[in-house]
Amino acid sequence: MLNYISRRLNLLLINAFILTIIAFLLAQWSNGQSLTDTNYIIDYVKYISAILQGDWGSSIDNRLILQQGLTAFASTLELCIISFITAALIAIPLGIFAGFYPNHFLDYCIMTIALIGLAIPIFWLAVITTMLPRLTGITLPIDGGISPIFEVPVVSGFMLIDTLLAEDLYQLNAFYDRLAHLFLPSIVLSFFLIAEIIRLTRRSITTVMKSNYIKAAYANGLSKTRLVLHHVLKNALPSIIHQLRLQLSTIISFAMVIEIVFSLPGAGVWLLNSIKEEDYLALPAAVLIISGFILLFSIFIDIFLMIISPLKRKSLYVD
Amino acid sequence: MRFLFTIAMTLLLYGCYKNESVITDTLIYCSEAYPQSFNSQISHDISTLDATTHQLYNRLVKFDASGESFIPDLATHWQQSDDKLSFTFFLRKNVNFQHTDYFTPTRFFNADDVIFSFQRMLEINTPYNSINRAGDSYFYNHPFTNLVADVIKIDDYTVKFILNEPDVTLLANLAAHYGVIISKQYGEKLLSIGHPEKIDYYPIGTGPYQFKNANKRTGIIRYNAHPQYWGVRPSIKNLIFEVTTNKTKRHSKLLSGECDIITYPEPSQLDKMAANPKIKLHRTATDNLALWSFNTVAAQFNNKNIRQAFSYAIDQKTIIEAIFFQSGNATSSLLAEQSWAYNPKRITLQYNPQLALEMLKNNNFDFNKTITILTSIENSVFNPNFHKTAELIQINLFDIGIKSEIISLLPAALEKRLASGHYDTYLTGINMPMNDPDSLFRPLLSCDATVAEGNSSQWCSKRVQTLLDSALLESNFIKRIMSYYKLQEITQQDRPYYPIAHVLRVDASNQNISGLRVDPLTGIDFQYIRKTEVN
Repeated sequence: MLNYISRRLNLLLINAFILTIIAFLLAQWSNGQSLTDTNYIIDYVKYISAILQGDWGSSIDNRLILQQGLTAFASTLELCIISFITAALIAIPLGIFAGFYPNHFLDYCIMTIALIGLAIPIFWLAVITTMLPRLTGITLPIDGGISPIFEVPVVSGFMLIDTLLAEDLYQLNAFYDRLAHLFLPSIVLSFFLIAEIIRLTRRSITTVMKSNYIKAAYANGLSKTRLVLHHVLKNALPSIIHQLRLQLSTIISFAMVIEIVFSLPGAGVWLLNSIKEEDYLALPAAVLIISGFILLFSIFIDIFLMIISPLKRKSLYVD
Repeated sequence: MRFLFTIAMTLLLYGCYKNESVITDTLIYCSEAYPQSFNSQISHDISTLDATTHQLYNRLVKFDASGESFIPDLATHWQQSDDKLSFTFFLRKNVNFQHTDYFTPTRFFNADDVIFSFQRMLEINTPYNSINRAGDSYFYNHPFTNLVADVIKIDDYTVKFILNEPDVTLLANLAAHYGVIISKQYGEKLLSIGHPEKIDYYPIGTGPYQFKNANKRTGIIRYNAHPQYWGVRPSIKNLIFEVTTNKTKRHSKLLSGECDIITYPEPSQLDKMAANPKIKLHRTATDNLALWSFNTVAAQFNNKNIRQAFSYAIDQKTIIEAIFFQSGNATSSLLAEQSWAYNPKRITLQYNPQLALEMLKNNNFDFNKTITILTSIENSVFNPNFHKTAELIQINLFDIGIKSEIISLLPAALEKRLASGHYDTYLTGINMPMNDPDSLFRPLLSCDATVAEGNSSQWCSKRVQTLLDSALLESNFIKRIMSYYKLQEITQQDRPYYPIAHVLRVDASNQNISGLRVDPLTGIDFQYIRKTEVN
């Protein structure tokens, strides 16, 4: 197990090294410097030490890039988490059902919906969703992260938490307002996630269902609920989580696109504005923050999988 | 179970969420762009005027609601001297400047503030003259520097404006957006701490609202009601400007209750909005003009018959219907109908391609030449869609055998191209900063006006220049009007510009909003606005 973790960390270091080189090149380019007229190894070392000390530079309006980036990314992450929870609540039961009754009429229905979900371009769905309140008469916000009435101080960057911390100012009104602003964007993002999770769950469940030990359990007279909860799901889950981990970067990039459509302040809007204002220093910072997060998260998931799945525990090599 | 839980949570959330239209002391105005600054002395874009003139500041005098006569603002009354060379203004007493987090005034408004505000424009040597590149702006230097010789303090509450020569436009200039009064004490404080540039970004005035904070990135500007305001205090305590650049989104936000008032909705949606009982549309006629100018120094366009022929070739009605919908009125005159100098005996623009073709042939027009239609890539309040307008013009020209090329450029490139003079025609617009025809005709027609200032037809005629100058000095009102009548006749005969439409300013509000005032020249006014609970 120690071997596995050390190999995983080795990979992390290599990946991080490649990432910092990309970020360094971007930073150099945005400063208008070419690599030929300076000693780039010394520059790189300087750059890395500055990054490690938290000195990521400041944007053209003299605000700290690191702080801006982290706040923006936290908002994106908030959207991803909310959407993921919604999607998991809806999709896992549907996926289990479809996997449990393969080739059933309902299975076809569920899989058709999942296929549509995968086929619809997410930005188009987002644009259509912005019209939803207008067409249905439901009063839901379609623009921004929170109503400008509320001036919530940024503490954690996760606005749901920040609004709760600012409870003395606005009671729970700001919190509800934030939730309402996240509602439509998270529906759009979860639409994609639902499709993905249904597909993964179904496939995984079908595979497990075919295995002999399930057949044996079934023959032993175990009830369906018990079978699903104690045997099928337990064995199907690791591969679902593993597959979802691979989708993380797609989820984040979709979240960024959705943010731009809904003008929801987050990494997407931050990057777009920075590019519009020719504030290119935000680009390397975004590369480091977002990719760094994905790297760390993958390791976290790997370790988590190793804890819950005995098969993984024995594997020596990192995949 | 999970389904039920999700649905229950959604309903719970929906029940808890109150949209902004419920809170009656807070008003959200969704504007189209972020203001260039918070001082209408140095910035003249409509967003700045909306965000500043009526909200933050007062002027010495202002126009009444009809726009025809002057009423007191910070000056209670005024006198003109017998020789017409000076005006004396008597100032209002006990007027407070705004108390904010960044400045606490220790005295009331007085004559020093008036002198400070105007000296910034008049005296090149005052420290504030060049701050924030104020001196670069055309309007910053021009209206007062040629007009006013000096501003003298008689006592704490009396000031005298001495003119270079008799000129009737002083009051109109003082009532214009750039006639706002700023605090001298605040100016001195900023100089002493070494940050004079803040005067235009952290404003202090005497107006009904005071600045709270603004963030260009989020596009949100917050104001509080000014608690010690001298006049009628607004019923709205928190005024919020939220910049929403997308027109359709502004419309959606109005319907979803995220905005109480929006500006410039999508023209194609106006019909639908008018039919919606929940929305009130406010249309204000403005002097803002969408026009197509002919470069009169370019080959062929120096012939006035060819310019007239081009004007016969254009189907103005289709342009209005396809581009402006109900957000603009077709016009044949440069001056808007509501102006006091408007000449009712105008020549109506006709669409007559046959006549156009004949005239072009008679004047030996070179049909092999491709003419250029220069325009801006960015749309503005003058025209909802420059490019589409250019395309319609292109089709009209093609119908009579003229080849044309549309060149849409970004502002910086456009400026260079205009300065170089390499264009045949230019599709643009112009706004009238004050209620005086001189402020429209001078930038368009004066030999001294540059292309950047408005003279995109590069027009220069001795006769027109003499009329322009004599009208400005004329104190007999009837004679002055006659000069402008004559000027309009000449421009219609010589056709340096093809007027397309006088643009309406359109704002839309929810039904629970009343008391919205929009001045076509100085911007939106939230002082008398009321918001009631939605039934």
